[in-house]
Amino acid sequence: MKITSLSLGALGALVVYIALRLSKGFALASIADVYILFMIAALLIYIPAGDKGKKGSLLVLGTLIFFILLELVRPLIPRSLLNVYNFFILVTVLLYFTSKDEGARDLMAPIKATLVGSENRTFRTALFAVVPLFAALITFNIVRPSYEAPGDTRSIHPAPPSSVNVFNKSYNLLTLKNPLRDDAANYAKYVKEGGEVYFKNCFYCHGDKLDGKGHYYHGVNPKPLPFMGTDTIAQLSESFVFWRVATGGPGLPKEGAPWLSAMPIWEHFLTEEEVWKVSMFIYDYSGNKPRTF
Amino acid sequence: MRRFWILKYLLIVSILLIVSNISEAAKGDKEAGKKIYERRCAWCHGWNGAGDGPAADFLNPRPRDFTSGIYKYKTSNLDNPFPYEDDLYKMIAEGMPGTSMPFWKDVLSSNDIWNLIAYIKSLAGLEGEPAAKINYGKQVSSSADSIKKGKELFIDRCSECHGDEGKGDAMKKLKDDWVGNRLWPRNLTKPWMFRAGSDPKDIYSRISTGISGTPMPAFDDPASKKKLTEEDKWHVVNYVTSIKNEARRIKDGDTVIKAKRLTGDMPKDANDEKWKDVESTAYPLVGQIIAKERFFTPSVEEITLKAVYNDKEIAFLLEWDDRTKSIPGDAKAQELADGELNEDAVAIQLPVTIPEGMEKPYFGMGDSGHPVNVWQWKSGTAKAEQSIKVMDATGFKNIKARDKADVTAKGEYNKGTWKVMMKRPLKTDNKDDIQFEEGKFTPIAFATWDGTNGEKGSKHTITTWYWILLKPPTGSMVFIWPIFVAGIVLGAEILIARSAQKK
Repeated sequence: MKITSLSLGALGALVVYIALRLSKGFALASIADVYILFMIAALLIYIPAGDKGKKGSLLVLGTLIFFILLELVRPLIPRSLLNVYNFFILVTVLLYFTSKDEGARDLMAPIKATLVGSENRTFRTALFAVVPLFAALITFNIVRPSYEAPGDTRSIHPAPPSSVNVFNKSYNLLTLKNPLRDDAANYAKYVKEGGEVYFKNCFYCHGDKLDGKGHYYHGVNPKPLPFMGTDTIAQLSESFVFWRVATGGPGLPKEGAPWLSAMPIWEHFLTEEEVWKVSMFIYDYSGNKPRTF
Repeated sequence: MRRFWILKYLLIVSILLIVSNISEAAKGDKEAGKKIYERRCAWCHGWNGAGDGPAADFLNPRPRDFTSGIYKYKTSNLDNPFPYEDDLYKMIAEGMPGTSMPFWKDVLSSNDIWNLIAYIKSLAGLEGEPAAKINYGKQVSSSADSIKKGKELFIDRCSECHGDEGKGDAMKKLKDDWVGNRLWPRNLTKPWMFRAGSDPKDIYSRISTGISGTPMPAFDDPASKKKLTEEDKWHVVNYVTSIKNEARRIKDGDTVIKAKRLTGDMPKDANDEKWKDVESTAYPLVGQIIAKERFFTPSVEEITLKAVYNDKEIAFLLEWDDRTKSIPGDAKAQELADGELNEDAVAIQLPVTIPEGMEKPYFGMGDSGHPVNVWQWKSGTAKAEQSIKVMDATGFKNIKARDKADVTAKGEYNKGTWKVMMKRPLKTDNKDDIQFEEGKFTPIAFATWDGTNGEKGSKHTITTWYWILLKPPTGSMVFIWPIFVAGIVLGAEILIARSAQKK
């Protein structure tokens, strides 16, 4: 048996593809994994065929290269869409290789050789046993009952109301500004005082590093919001922050799942000035600026 | 020739590594470290490093006081009371499990950390490096024999504080050397909570030189009658690593308690054999920090759950490690408590109506539109038996206890672990009760109270909403389909082979 570098390449590509799928929690649990089954069967036939199996190995290699490239695309393509893409890739590659009679013959010859003839009997028996077993495994994984918890489709930054009643006052959230920011001379003082508020009230969930991973992080759901980075408070106006802090989890609209959030209603614990100071602190520490437009 | 080239290359690389290490150790710049300290560390460790930052009162354990020069975790030997800079580096870079000290390696460069170390050492006037490391001898690999020897040594030397089964439950009142804070011996069955690592070598280090500032003694101390040889220490290490209780470890994403369907009778009590092969799930507990009075310093950090049901009843097994059996009126229990001694307790919270959509009751005792049932068990006092109470709640301030409970509960305490079984009929004729349904994801939440830790009323631990699922028995179709498909594939194969062979 002569193993060509082409067939080794095809084998390597299959290993890489399976490894990529495994890294995403692949468990032979979808009808699309029949592709993998085909690839394995094809390689089992074409690799031992040596030079005669060259075309077949090339077909497997070509298909897998496209499959692998698609797995590497970022942002991730949803699995259902990938399955459709993979189907078209397989059909296109097959059409390409079988567009001429001679190509089709090259592909079929090793298959025929495996199916016919007594010298291949052991291998044939093994192949015929393995393929139905794999098919059974895939079927089992599909019909097996799943006990995955229902998903939550909660909105992280729900639209704020136009006004809010806290601290016995009504605030218009559309025009509300942090009054302390006008007092630029005392900026550093307010930030430090805000830090004290943060490290007495907020850090056990939102974290020492403001990364949303305080020591209570594991015990609450939804997970505390991180303030570092540019995709949370940097996207919000300071009046939004004021609203979220002052009214806490129960103050969320329904799309924000108020029944889940462990954010306390801070108007019960902090003064209005403390809320503004802590807001200044989290913006300052994370190097962000409130959105003003 | 080629081989020599590789050797040369290796030599150059190792020299470079050594040189860079030497220069790195001396690289720390105290003044640069101070700036980082004031931005990142002072909030907990205090502006002068005395462990008294604004966050300090909300933390258990409290942040370390750097002015004292006492360091708990080190790999220098007994003659050298101070840690290596590498020890401090590990602490800062990797953080300390079970405390609020996070790992800093994601935001601080190694240069930043060396600078910090220079500054932190200067707070206690420390200079230079220790002269000698702990002698690790020859590591004894784990074996049944070594574990057995380790266990004997453990019972003799360690159980006095760590308890017979290592859960840190021995009856002793311990304090630290800084300000006399209450200390509890480590629960050794949860190595992922070990502050300075759970590798065998880390455990060996703790045994060798003890934990400075705490009652954990150094078993290298030649003056001590309890001194252990290097080999003995490795035996103890092997025993300690062998008692890990993996069931208590919290697995992210494991949010469903799967109640197993029983065909016969329900378990009689918490220790019934029937519980043995039921799948368990562990959930984190955190202090109740949402409603007044809030509680920041719980002693219990995790609860493990199991559930079973038959056609009439459902039963829950709640297990959690609690170092103390808190029985008010009991002299011994009283002695261990710092202030008022209350009962230990545990509670299950369930919605009255199983939600169909996403909307659930507020996870803290429900809300006006969404009532919850709370089943609370208490450990009893010297005069009163254990008790179970069913409450109807529509919010923190709207809790009504019923006169009669349709839930039964019985708890048993053994060597640092509470096991409580609660049982109720699946269906009742009370409209304020939840009616359990097979196959439906039902929200469930938990709370515990450690009476010795001052927990009472709103001061307790909580969990968020999880799920309980009465798992329907798996039908036979799950096995019939794969066999059917395999048969079809085999048939197709044979047909193809036949037709190929005919040609």
